[in-house]
Amino acid sequence: MINKPHVDWFALSPTLALIGASGLLLLVSVLAPKRTRKPLAATIAGAAFLTALVFAIALTDKSAHGAAIVADAIFRDRWTGLAQVLIAGCGLVAVLISYGERWREEHVGEYYALLTAAGAGLVFFVSASNLMTLFLGLEWFSIALYVLCAIDIHLVGSLEAGLKYLIIGAIGSATLLFGSALVYGATGSLGFDQIAAGTHAHSGLLVGGLAMVIVGLAFKTSAAPFHMWTPDVYQGAPTPVTAFMAAATKVGALVVTARILVTAFPSEQHLWTWALAGIAIASLVVGNIAALAQRNVKRLLAYSSVSHAGFMLFAIAAANTLGARSLMYYLIPYCAMSLGAFAVVAARERELGAPVTLENLAGFGWDRPFLGVAMWVFMLGFLGFPLTGGFWGKIYVFSAVYQHGWWWLIVVGVVATMVSAVYYLAIVRSMFLRDSVELALAPVGGAPSREVALSIGVAACLVVTVGSFFAVQPLIDAAHAASRALPF
Amino acid sequence: MHGPDVSWYLALSGLMFTIGAIGVLVRRSPLIILLSVEIMLNGANLALIAFARHFGHADGQVFAIAVMAVAASEVVVGLGLIVAMGRRNIELDVDKLRTLRG
Repeated sequence: MINKPHVDWFALSPTLALIGASGLLLLVSVLAPKRTRKPLAATIAGAAFLTALVFAIALTDKSAHGAAIVADAIFRDRWTGLAQVLIAGCGLVAVLISYGERWREEHVGEYYALLTAAGAGLVFFVSASNLMTLFLGLEWFSIALYVLCAIDIHLVGSLEAGLKYLIIGAIGSATLLFGSALVYGATGSLGFDQIAAGTHAHSGLLVGGLAMVIVGLAFKTSAAPFHMWTPDVYQGAPTPVTAFMAAATKVGALVVTARILVTAFPSEQHLWTWALAGIAIASLVVGNIAALAQRNVKRLLAYSSVSHAGFMLFAIAAANTLGARSLMYYLIPYCAMSLGAFAVVAARERELGAPVTLENLAGFGWDRPFLGVAMWVFMLGFLGFPLTGGFWGKIYVFSAVYQHGWWWLIVVGVVATMVSAVYYLAIVRSMFLRDSVELALAPVGGAPSREVALSIGVAACLVVTVGSFFAVQPLIDAAHAASRALPF
Repeated sequence: MHGPDVSWYLALSGLMFTIGAIGVLVRRSPLIILLSVEIMLNGANLALIAFARHFGHADGQVFAIAVMAVAASEVVVGLGLIVAMGRRNIELDVDKLRTLRG
């Protein structure tokens, strides 16, 4: 007789909704008539992310007392729940952004099936409570994303992005796996809680394993010096996929990094806080300096995402409740701003049929005032300007590192923010402030059909970006409730 | 327990991981790079299995079996991409994949 673990189906419901929809979408992509395929597939994918969002909100509400469930394989608590809410929200907006892509007629069903599968993987990944579920979750969403990056199979750039992401992602997972094996060897257990409680007889093994686990996760957060895939993949992947990756993958990887370090390695805190601070500073330096040199807007935003990974790693490096809270809060406007910025890039790309650079953004703000103003707000949000959630995000991160006693990190962060103003404002400048000679040179966009879905997505991002500034108290309370699930 | 001590297995798995990592860094064909990544993953698998035997419980072995399935699906995606590139007559050399630059 095999003892079967008790399965908490409610805790698995966001994952199940998404993976179920993924299977359904694969059927749609072969069974539905060609004409109805696109709206049907997009509706199912959108409904799946919406269902997952509702389940995740209910789960967050009903999981005040965190616990490891299903044979200690996954956590059911508010830290997981809130991250799932964010990921499902990102997926919903990604569906809205994807709808207008023109080339996807033939693989439209498969595209949405992979998008929901990636969402399911991420939602599962953030609930991981042992090294095996961690690795499986990571590979689950990564493999779906490798295919999504390369789905525009007629473009060399898309294939190249897929292959680069696959190779570098696989190196990252292999490193994470070897680190997990070393941690298992040092402690004799795979569960995060048991690792923390385990005897540390072979501390050399444990420290080596910890280092490799951090490196493996840093590949996914795209923190320097493990970021080299980011600009190429963000540039080559179809823009809606880039938008989803930039937002949702970052949520998953950062939330899990915080979880595993705090839960499984509390006694090595003196080591990993320094390691993360180093990685974060490297990300800020590399991300901001490299972004200054970019002309391609997707590459520029990729380097900007590297530098934001640096800010969010500050929050984890602070290793206190305030840090965990500020990480969760920071992710809310960050997701909205990245999704929104890439959505605007996608809109311009569809008009031009060419990659968006700072040059051909010229006059875009006057042509399409709504998208132009939205992009302006997202850029100010990335910069950490008041009236956007990015402002409170940075303030909270800085106060967390100050509480840890690292005032010099604040200096680094402020200098990085000042440097980043140059390239964020360069985007705003090229949209609005070009003289008439330059504007005359700008390619005329023609008259593309108005994309209602994309505009709704951008509007939602705008509401969250600005709303998270004004509604900071309820959001920070939710983040606080989530951070209480972590044992500080 | 019969056979060599767990440290020998660990040394071998570390060697496999290193060989794989060197292969990834120096080879230029994506096929060989995928092969090298497999060697890295299998190095980690060997360590998992050796530790599972050392501790006398099955956790590590279950993990290793799951990793094999995952590694196989990852390679399928990789080979699919390589075939797609081959059909488009793109030279299979990672140093020459330079469409995406800034």
